[in-house]
Amino acid sequence: MNQTIKNKIMVFGMAAILGIISLFCWFKPHTDYSYSERRVLAKFPSLTLDTVTNGKFMSEFETYTLDQFPLRDTFRGLKSFSSLYLMGQSDVNDLTITNGYVAKNEYPANEAMLENAGKKFRYLYDTYMKDSNVNLYFSIVPDKNYYTSIKSGSLAMDYEMLVDTMTKQTDYMKYIDLFQVLSIRDYYRTDTHWKQENLVPVAIVLSDVMGVETSMNYTKTQLEEPFYGVYYGQLALPLSPDTITYLTNEIVESCIVTDYNSGKPVTIPMYDLSQATAKDPYELFVGGNTPLVTIENPLATTDKELVIFRDSFTSSLAPLLATGYSKVTLVDIRYINSGMLGNFIEFDNQDVLFLYSTLVLNSSTILK
Amino acid sequence: MIFSSIPFLYYFLPVVLLLYFLVPKRLKNLVLLLSSLFFYGWGEPKYVVIMVISIVVGFVLGHLIEVFRGKGLSKVFLILSVISAICMLGYFKYMDFFITNINAVTGLSLPLLKITLPIGISFYLFQILSYTVDVYRGTVPAQKNIIHFGAYVSCFPQLIAGPIVRYSDIAEQLSSRTHTFEKTAYGIRRFIMGLSKKVLLANALGELCDIFRASDDKSVLFYWLYAISFTLHIYFDFSGYSDMAIGLGKIFGFDFIENFNHPYISKSITEFWRRWHISLGSWFRDYVYIPLGGNRVSKGRWFLNILTVWMLTGFWHGASWNFIVWGLLYAAFLVLEKLFLGKYLKNSKVWCHIYVMFIVCFGFVIFNATNLGEALQYFGAMFGAGSVPFVSTEFTYYLGSFGFILLLSIAGSTPLPMILTKKISGIKNGMGERILNIAEPIISVILLLLVTAYLVDGSFNPFLYFRF
Repeated sequence: MNQTIKNKIMVFGMAAILGIISLFCWFKPHTDYSYSERRVLAKFPSLTLDTVTNGKFMSEFETYTLDQFPLRDTFRGLKSFSSLYLMGQSDVNDLTITNGYVAKNEYPANEAMLENAGKKFRYLYDTYMKDSNVNLYFSIVPDKNYYTSIKSGSLAMDYEMLVDTMTKQTDYMKYIDLFQVLSIRDYYRTDTHWKQENLVPVAIVLSDVMGVETSMNYTKTQLEEPFYGVYYGQLALPLSPDTITYLTNEIVESCIVTDYNSGKPVTIPMYDLSQATAKDPYELFVGGNTPLVTIENPLATTDKELVIFRDSFTSSLAPLLATGYSKVTLVDIRYINSGMLGNFIEFDNQDVLFLYSTLVLNSSTILK
Repeated sequence: MIFSSIPFLYYFLPVVLLLYFLVPKRLKNLVLLLSSLFFYGWGEPKYVVIMVISIVVGFVLGHLIEVFRGKGLSKVFLILSVISAICMLGYFKYMDFFITNINAVTGLSLPLLKITLPIGISFYLFQILSYTVDVYRGTVPAQKNIIHFGAYVSCFPQLIAGPIVRYSDIAEQLSSRTHTFEKTAYGIRRFIMGLSKKVLLANALGELCDIFRASDDKSVLFYWLYAISFTLHIYFDFSGYSDMAIGLGKIFGFDFIENFNHPYISKSITEFWRRWHISLGSWFRDYVYIPLGGNRVSKGRWFLNILTVWMLTGFWHGASWNFIVWGLLYAAFLVLEKLFLGKYLKNSKVWCHIYVMFIVCFGFVIFNATNLGEALQYFGAMFGAGSVPFVSTEFTYYLGSFGFILLLSIAGSTPLPMILTKKISGIKNGMGERILNIAEPIISVILLLLVTAYLVDGSFNPFLYFRF
């Protein structure tokens, strides 16, 4: 190929590529929602004299062109591939891959946030539990980075400091260590959360300390639908999806789950299988992210009740703990103001477990 | 609008190219002018007026300078042109700096104007100034067509970040220029190369600098990593943008001046400034340094000229003391090199490079500091002052994470890629040429798609020289 032909190929080839991509940009039908990123995509901005003169149209148009770019996820994947495997970067958007497990560089541990979480728990204790006959327990769910960072060398928070700070602030509770009970295999590869089918040992460790007996035998049911976790979309690489497996037995199936999200009690299924095809299938466990849920166990051999102050990790653990109690109440103070809890829960002669992930403790301003 | 953005690449540019190559020759500059005003207005709608006024004032004054050539009025119009440019720069760029300093010295509390700096004003006003001065000197005739003049001043490929194109360099091309496959193909290659330098390297290095600045885990080595990263970042950011400008210029038929020539291989600061931001250096040389007398004056006056020019060069970069100090730092070393250092550097093979990179790195630490106090604190920390540990966890992690990018950038800032290309092209029987001819279009397409991927992901993408 001589210079002249090369130049012509360069000019016509580039014109064709630029033209084709541009035509797709201009005329591709709009996409409303990105399932991989779990967010609404930007729409064409309002074009008025005001929005043009104040520059709002231009900045929103830029966002729109990025959100609506043809083959957006493919291009995002190409960027991740390039960053990790061509440029040799250790992470993409703080996400690392270690032995197929995607984890986020949760770093550094923020002492102010931990202190804020401690103050919030202290407020709950002082307001509702100090003078009541409750048994208080506190446990922490490590994020995946605790296990992957050792191998990958990625940035990780000082977990020892985190546990130390939290236990010092919650010295009115009995601390139950879960760090040594879990391993990276107990988490989904593409999501932040742990896998319910691996949580029986966790439930046993917790229930042993709390003095109840939870079931050890369950039937495993694996969903047919693939589970693309939250990190899958953020990383945009073609990783193989996870699968969700849920545990049932006679006790779990007999439980009555009531959701108070709408202000009125509504009975919901323990496992809402319709969520399997929704944007976040992990929400299928006990109503997902909801402020107040109760699980009543009619087959319970005890009248002990458990209140769990929790985040989303507890959703998949709660059915297992429910097998050892007559009633389990799940409170998520990310969605309900702590000051209002007295209207819904009477603290008297219960076990109370504060079970939070390192992720929430380290960004505790989300606790209300 | 910036070149490294989806709206530019896939909305603006294709439409402009289509229009430009479809319209007859006599309308090409009109397309260029209107598209340039749209391009400018996209980022600064209200400042399009300033741009149009600057064009009209420059055009009229240039014309009047020529009409009254040889008469006193010609000089008056030239002075008017210089004053109008200085006033515009003074008002938009330097007013708050002056007010802050007046307040500091006098104890007054004059309110700051807080004016947004019109993008590229330092570049296009310098272009207009070079035009009126050259018309006054008789180097070029005044432009008779305001569309041509407007296209020169507002020409979007080099409007916001240079190179500072002298009117005399493209006067002929404004009225008559050729478009060939060779030129266009070169322009495309150069544009994509610049785009890749900016998006794939400069942005990553800039991200590392931002990570450092936000870090609570700084260490001596992390400070050094920052200084090196910023030195590479600013080179790839700015030279990448210049490559894009030169490439686009070629596509539209212009031959813009080169702006960088591997500055980091320089053996002296004098050489560095012949290789770094060439269009600005030569502008100050021709329109400030030589009119001041250059080196054809007494030694004391000569050094004063150098100090003046480099103080102005620093001040051109921004209304802040650290830019002035940055300029004066170079002036000091230029004087030292002229006094005695130069002859030692000539005999050195390794130390001269270490010396240059030290000065350049330190210079850019001053350049990028928010104030002189911060720059001093950074210098101290680089040598272990304070309670900064020698090494930190974050340093180790980010050195690993950005190690390859840093190595690639260091290699890319030298003539190594050029030497490699020449070696391949020299392979016997024309085989090397054939390999390059096939590889070039393929690599260009891959780079364009890769850059698009980085842009679509919407990550870090600011552009440093916008603020100038």
